[in-house]
Amino acid sequence: MSELTQKTYWKSLNELAQNKEYEKFVEREFPENATELSDGFSRKGFLRVMGASIALAGFAACRRPVQKILPYSKQPEDIVPGIPLFYASAMPFQGNLTGLVVENHEGRPTKVEGNDLHPASGGNTNAYHQASILEMYDPDRSKFPVRNGAKSSTTDFHSFVADYFADTNKRVAFISEANSSPTYNGLKEEALNRFDNAEWVTYEPFGEDNAIEGNNIAFGRRVRTHYNFTNADIIVSLDDDFLAPTHPNNVEYAKQVTFRRKVTSQQDTMNRIYSVENGFTITGSYADHRKRVKASEMADFANALAATLSSRISGLNSFASVNNKFTGSEFITVLADDLASNAGRSAVSLGFDYAPEVHAVVAAINSALDNYGTAVNLLQVPHFDNQNNKTAFANLVSSISDGNFDAVVIIGANPALTAPADLNFTEALSGADEVFHLSTYNDETAKTASWHVARSHYLEAWGDGYSFSGARAVIQPQIQPLHDSLSEIEFLGAITNAGKISGYDMVRETFSSFYSRNFENRWLDILHDGIDVTDGFSTANRSARNVSPAPSTTINEIEVVIKPDNSVYDGRFANLGWLQELPDPITKITWDNVALLSPATAESLGISTDDYLGKAKQPVLNIAVNGTPIKLAAWVQPGHADDSITVHTGYGREGIGRVADVSSESSQLLDPETTSGGVNVYPIRTSSSMLFAQAGVSVTGEKYPIACVQDHHSLEGRDMYRQATLAKYKEKADYASFESIHKYAVPGMAEAAELGEDQPISLFNEQTAVEGEPQWGMAIDLNACFGCGVCIIACQSENNIPVIGKREVERGREMHWIRNDRYYMGDKENPQAVHQPVPCMHCELAPCEQVCPVAATTHSDDGMNQMTYNRCIGTRYCANNCPFKVRRFNFFNYPKEYLTSGEDPDIIQMAMNPEVTVRFIGVMEKCTYCVQRVNREKISAKIETGSPKPADGTVQTACQQACPADAIYFGDLTDENSEVTKMKRNERNYLMLEELNVRPRTSYIAKLTNPNPALVKETNEEYAQ
Amino acid sequence: MSKYEYIPEPALVKGNHDFASITKLVTDVNLRPTPKNWYLAMLPANALLGLLLVSIGYLIWEGTGIWGLNNPVGWGWAIINFVWWVGIGHAGTLISAILFLFRQDWRTAINRFAEAMTIFAVMCAGVFPAIHVGRIWVIYWVFPVPNQMAMWPNFNSPLLWDVFAVSTYFTVSLLFWYVGLVPDLATLRDKATDKIRKVAYGLFALGWTGSSRAWWNYEKAYMILAGLATPLVLSVHTIVSFDFAVSMIPGWHTTIFPPYFVAGAIFSGFAMVLTLMIVARKIYGMKDIMTDDHMEKMNIIIMVTGSMVGFAYMMEFFIAWYSGVEYEKAIFMLRATGPYAWAYWIMMFCNVISPQVFWFKKLRRSVGFTFFISIVVNIGMWFERFVITVTSLSTDYLPSSWDYYSPTAWDVLTYVGTFGLFFTMFLLFLRFLPMIAIAEVKLVMPQGDPHNYDDETQEYHLHVEEVPQPKAVKA
Repeated sequence: MSELTQKTYWKSLNELAQNKEYEKFVEREFPENATELSDGFSRKGFLRVMGASIALAGFAACRRPVQKILPYSKQPEDIVPGIPLFYASAMPFQGNLTGLVVENHEGRPTKVEGNDLHPASGGNTNAYHQASILEMYDPDRSKFPVRNGAKSSTTDFHSFVADYFADTNKRVAFISEANSSPTYNGLKEEALNRFDNAEWVTYEPFGEDNAIEGNNIAFGRRVRTHYNFTNADIIVSLDDDFLAPTHPNNVEYAKQVTFRRKVTSQQDTMNRIYSVENGFTITGSYADHRKRVKASEMADFANALAATLSSRISGLNSFASVNNKFTGSEFITVLADDLASNAGRSAVSLGFDYAPEVHAVVAAINSALDNYGTAVNLLQVPHFDNQNNKTAFANLVSSISDGNFDAVVIIGANPALTAPADLNFTEALSGADEVFHLSTYNDETAKTASWHVARSHYLEAWGDGYSFSGARAVIQPQIQPLHDSLSEIEFLGAITNAGKISGYDMVRETFSSFYSRNFENRWLDILHDGIDVTDGFSTANRSARNVSPAPSTTINEIEVVIKPDNSVYDGRFANLGWLQELPDPITKITWDNVALLSPATAESLGISTDDYLGKAKQPVLNIAVNGTPIKLAAWVQPGHADDSITVHTGYGREGIGRVADVSSESSQLLDPETTSGGVNVYPIRTSSSMLFAQAGVSVTGEKYPIACVQDHHSLEGRDMYRQATLAKYKEKADYASFESIHKYAVPGMAEAAELGEDQPISLFNEQTAVEGEPQWGMAIDLNACFGCGVCIIACQSENNIPVIGKREVERGREMHWIRNDRYYMGDKENPQAVHQPVPCMHCELAPCEQVCPVAATTHSDDGMNQMTYNRCIGTRYCANNCPFKVRRFNFFNYPKEYLTSGEDPDIIQMAMNPEVTVRFIGVMEKCTYCVQRVNREKISAKIETGSPKPADGTVQTACQQACPADAIYFGDLTDENSEVTKMKRNERNYLMLEELNVRPRTSYIAKLTNPNPALVKETNEEYAQ
Repeated sequence: MSKYEYIPEPALVKGNHDFASITKLVTDVNLRPTPKNWYLAMLPANALLGLLLVSIGYLIWEGTGIWGLNNPVGWGWAIINFVWWVGIGHAGTLISAILFLFRQDWRTAINRFAEAMTIFAVMCAGVFPAIHVGRIWVIYWVFPVPNQMAMWPNFNSPLLWDVFAVSTYFTVSLLFWYVGLVPDLATLRDKATDKIRKVAYGLFALGWTGSSRAWWNYEKAYMILAGLATPLVLSVHTIVSFDFAVSMIPGWHTTIFPPYFVAGAIFSGFAMVLTLMIVARKIYGMKDIMTDDHMEKMNIIIMVTGSMVGFAYMMEFFIAWYSGVEYEKAIFMLRATGPYAWAYWIMMFCNVISPQVFWFKKLRRSVGFTFFISIVVNIGMWFERFVITVTSLSTDYLPSSWDYYSPTAWDVLTYVGTFGLFFTMFLLFLRFLPMIAIAEVKLVMPQGDPHNYDDETQEYHLHVEEVPQPKAVKA
């Protein structure tokens, strides 16, 4: 395709924004030519300007090549102003694509949803996917290439590299983040062919390198382990947090794991999950059994598990002689029994960052259990490098340092921040003449590079790649690049081909090579469906080698464990306010990282473990690894392994952006008095301590404020969260009913029965369901929810919820419309953690409606509790009277700070959903059941069928749509066959605070656990105590 | 000696006063040149008033976020202060209206004073509900203003009832106070020497001539207003308590609130009257009219209402336990032992224990001690409202939402600022209006009683022997 067509393919915002006429147009309330109309000025002129502005709407999203901007005299096909369009794309993360569908409003993408045709998504997403839309509109993103600290342009970059790389004898070191793109890997081959003295290393600070090495030890092949948890009755996670967004395949895994925990009748079965871990992970909180084991003892544990299994199944003879503290323990014996009796239907997984030898042990266990082919698969991944990238990276860095390279090309990665501290990456770069760096932010590496090139976001550039399981898809841009940026293929293409080639052409060419005939139609299908083939990777042949026990790595002193953060990962998402303000699924901390330690360890260090309400200033610890200290606030984490401290990466950034930066002066979001943004823990992460290290820990005596959204962690014996074991459920199906728990009927029911009513009577007018209207309701399956928090971000993205900053969160003013409550139950040292998403309950007898003096919150005919922002005067009485405390108040003009600060506020404003009001100071807001989506479907249903009742499943709330566990059901309660009605008929369905007679429309499906009877000491309480 | 000894009421006005000296004593304060000390008092009062205005201005500019409110605790100091000031504003009308209807003559010494305090306290109270809303510029939506959208306020909402209750109370209290002032304004008009005063007082005296007809109309109007004001004394704090009681928050949703709030309001109102009276009578030399006997009577009321409040506290606990509702039980246990236990025990000490000292006659006649207790009681009553408002919201149904509330400097400054408004108004009152109801005091003097005054001897029959014995005894 020619350059011309590609260029006009997108009639971009950018181009229009650079148009003076258009600039004036957007600045003025009325188009200039609109006033000219009255002057008798030509109507054509008006149409031209209007046409241009609407072309912004039309052609940016339109797929057909258009050469000119035409007056909007005819409505382009499919474009109806106000009606969003959805296009498929895919988001790369750690080199793996997740298929997405992106909502576009008048040419600008506003919301990301999962693509149900794509196996890595199945229609759902995780928090990173949801927040990626904000990343594109991030005003702090790198906006233009930088040459030696001075603003440059991609044109200059192109001419420079054409010249510089003309000499193919240049010694070039390529450091790339993981990338599965066939186009990109084709360019990689080309680059290695073109430059004789080139080296290529794939570098990810956290990733599956060790797992691949482990498979290499176990099977002699550098292959990927891919689980199919649908086929696993028993899942053993050895500190593998596969449900967390930090895992590259968490959405697919979450769907698989939760699918096996969807219990709709007493006949259903469930999988059983064992989690062995040092910190409290999301997977651990979802497990039926959780064992606290120090990370440094995981090798011993794996050996002991193999040893215990060796007497039960064949193939693990080399472990028979293993004897350590875990062998013979009750837990491991029961676990081995359970695994052995479920051989072929179980899966054992291990966290990526454990040593390759331990991965080999786990592979041997899975192999001996005959799990391969059912619950575990080995995939031949064509783009894997044939080398151990961790050692290759270390060697490359020292080689660069020695001056063996003329140029270093860093694509995507940020090794200046994330590389092991002992490699002295930044200093090593001075050994090269030129450092080229492509990245989304002007980050630590960019600042050391002689050429920094702004990276196009995946939503604005063409690309392609494979999912974790091998599904091939195209990354389809939704908008012309907002800034002067290049995608990674354009960047690498410029260096390799020394020419300027469009990303679109390259991707198309790659895909045309897969199809010898009828490519044109296939191409359109790929773009339309967002997926090409699902079996892009073949199953690897497996010939098990003899695996010997992994060397013990036990640390007897306190160990420090370094993990990627659930919110900001390795730091790449640090400038995304949504993620910074997303409470950690377990600790509920926002904006900071902390040193997590067990109550016993805290006490031994002299740190108080008392729980109290209020702004907690946490004692600061000094954690030293090999003499390098970091200072981090301590946080007592019940259930954490003793003598172990977990820290998370990605915080403590400087010069990245207003959100990420530590105590940034320029940001109004952050309090200058209390620093925020956490602490950089990479200085203690060295080549020898990538996951854990022995640490010297002392309390400094300083205090640091932490913004945590949940101050109280016990249910106080209350019945908001109800659960039972699967065995108990089979005995007593309605274990979660009010009567089962309290041993008496719901107050008022007996009296109501006498009056012939089916609900207790009320003083207030009852809401009557309007005939012919749908009645909306929601059910949340607590058995599926594992607490990841994607619902919170999806809701934030859909409903324009502002980011309020650490100071405001610290004051307890978080704005999230749906929150995820986490309670600890049982033993203080090793509690169970449960998650409960709480949106507005949309009570039929809503207490908030009764007390509002100005009737700003009222009931709709379709049974929703509505909030009229324009009418609200802000007495906050409704929030006080809400027993569920789901109402949120605009204490300040939050959107103003969030949307108008910075030099380029127009950009962040584009991330807002035009269908949802941006709320002003002094008004109350809360979950609306995504009323804008409901009404959109109601209107189209009414147009099509005459009835305002959309078919079941056509209306999805943002939280429901995002949830990878499918824990949220939403629909019409007047429809007897709707999914939500079916769920509400389940015996486990219960109402929170049923005795208040507020009649919530949101109900919960009580949780079930499936503990191993051999490990259950006493009968589980029927509900939380 | 007869079988029953008649113990007469102690004289309500001490000292050898006649009508003229009473008039002079009271009106001199208004007609003398302004004393320097008045300016000295006005200075800090105005400064605090300025502080209030600055606090409100900043609040409207920045948003309610400048206060310490958070997600579970949507009402903090503003509502506490509102209820507290309204409570204080109870004493005046109670003294004027209810005691008037019960013919408690001792009220005359303090009614004007207490009514003025009521009006200013209600003004201070009224500030808070207005400014605590998020969007003060549309606060008029709480009034049933006819509009083209036919959008009425929500008549189910106790906050709306509040708007009516407090505004009615304020209006009736103001009218009642003003009607009582009319004869005294005429006195000031007549005694004033300069033109401005003559005109100003004359204007407000409504052409009072002191004729029998004027007195007849006056007495009727006063009686009717007293009748109207009496139910309001009970209703206003009942409705304020509905703000809490009608909601469904544990610790708020209790039927005991109306009587308990009214008792508490009288309790705090009397304490505030005492605080002010003790200072004012000293400075203005009104000890003959505002006597220790008055103080003692008021102390008894404080003790009684304090005990009622204490009883209510215990009943709350009992009912919480007796109801069997776990959230009710939990909130009362949390009040006494939870994160706000310190506030709870301050409240218990100040409101329940401290007034019990008034069982001792010596203490209830001790001026210094009374002054001290009156302040302690008002601190206690402030904490009562704090405990009710904050603890219930802070730790309600879902433990996940529990959060601690602490005020910011702006909360404190706004509260302190309302004292500026209060004292500014009060000082203006003391300066320009008679602080004692001259006409009414004269009525309760022996000279005012036609049966006790002997024109011939020009003596008052004050001796016990000369008082006619009750007929029952004679028979």
